Amino acid sequence: MRNLLIIISILAFFPAMAANAGSREDIIAQLETLAKADDANFSGFDAKRGEKLFSAKFSTGKPETPSCTSCHSTSPKNAGETRAGKAIDPMALSKTSDRYTDPKKVEKWFRRNCNSVLGRECTPLEKGDFLAFMISQ
Amino acid sequence: MSNKKQNIRIWDLPTRIYHWLQLLVVVGALLSGFFAPEWWLSYHVWLGYALIALLVFRIVWGFFGPEYSRFSSFIFSPTKLIAHIKAIKEGKPLHFFGHNPLGALMIFALIAVLLGISLSGLINLGGVENQGALAGFVDYASGDIAGKVHLLLAFALIAMIFLHILGVVVEGKISKSNLTKSMIDGDKPLPKGEKAPILRSTLFVPAILSIAGIGLILVVGSISMSKVPASGFIAMPISQTYQSECSDCHIVYHPSLLPKNSWAIMMDNLSEHFGEDASLDDETRDVIANYLVRYSAENWDSEAANNLLLVDKEKPIQITATAYWKLRHAKIDEEVFKSKPVRTAANCEACHSDAKTGRFADENISIPKPKTQP
Repeated sequence: MRNLLIIISILAFFPAMAANAGSREDIIAQLETLAKADDANFSGFDAKRGEKLFSAKFSTGKPETPSCTSCHSTSPKNAGETRAGKAIDPMALSKTSDRYTDPKKVEKWFRRNCNSVLGRECTPLEKGDFLAFMISQ
Repeated sequence: MSNKKQNIRIWDLPTRIYHWLQLLVVVGALLSGFFAPEWWLSYHVWLGYALIALLVFRIVWGFFGPEYSRFSSFIFSPTKLIAHIKAIKEGKPLHFFGHNPLGALMIFALIAVLLGISLSGLINLGGVENQGALAGFVDYASGDIAGKVHLLLAFALIAMIFLHILGVVVEGKISKSNLTKSMIDGDKPLPKGEKAPILRSTLFVPAILSIAGIGLILVVGSISMSKVPASGFIAMPISQTYQSECSDCHIVYHPSLLPKNSWAIMMDNLSEHFGEDASLDDETRDVIANYLVRYSAENWDSEAANNLLLVDKEKPIQITATAYWKLRHAKIDEEVFKSKPVRTAANCEACHSDAKTGRFADENISIPKPKTQP
């Protein structure tokens, strides 16, 4: 009975999962367009650069959050914790499979957290690199 | 053997049991009231209910009990009271089988103060804690005043207990008898030359009917009264938007925990939200701001809402910066806030299991022991 329920729910959510995968690609494609518009020589996102961005320390943002790792832990595969004590699901796609599928949500958190950590908006290149790193993990 | 003193039964068994039970209950209530942590409140309240039960018995017994327990046997005229005091001064004390006029005054005063303490406690519980039979009937302000009366009466009671003991010692010396022993075995010696008086005996049927009747009225009455919703709380719909947007980073604070101005200031400055950017799109921001302002502290009569209305001038959006919050958490070790599972003073739910409801009831507090940092 329990197995049957699991199968049913997987089948029920399969179209949604497929749609999610689609929107994750859409988010990347959108960022690629913007990155190209910024720089004609743009040649794709780089997970390595994303990794650097993830662990870099900044002094330009808010003093409470000098780095992504302030809250997200030092590894994307580990759960993080907000300053108010709430758990944050791991950033790595392999650990949290439903991440980076809602363009609004992705935009919201880039807007908030880039401002908190870097003290400015992130460029499309930075966002794309960051996502490339998280998706590769 | 004719010299052997004859004893006479003064205090009947129910009165003696009542006396010593009341001692236990009063000592327990005083200790739990003054020294126990907040989350022992239920024990204090149950001791209060026990005290009310004892008082019901004593008052009924004062009308239908045996001779020396009846109020009518120890109501003395002012003339008799003055004569009694004079006689003590002159060293020729008058003899009384039961209470002497001064002792009788103390008995009536004790019963009055104990009734007052029970009633003020019940009003305080209903108004401030929004619990008990009066939760739906008493507002916070009245409950707060009752709390002050309750405390004053407790101090008065402590003073009276000492006077009562002093009276027992003094009268014991004057009458050369052990009054404490009399309250245990019930007997006092019959002085030479005195005849055993004719005594009124207990009227059991009226006594039992009265105790049962009053008990039934009190129990049924308070159970049905406590079904009335607590007056400090209003019906509030749950806002999915508020819950989901805000709980990503922190616990969902009950809207009653800040006044509307504070919520408005907070929602206008989300890009500077306690050291982080928590900005939202305008539509979502407005939905949440309207919800918080609609159900702000001004709309509730709970203990938390009443006290958190007064925010810190410098930090009007920070609950933990209010004078009230600081006062109530002053005794808690800084380590408790810093270490797991609390992490931060903003994490109300770590100790207040009912934080979500805005109740913050005393008995729902449980302070976890700090674990070592990971």
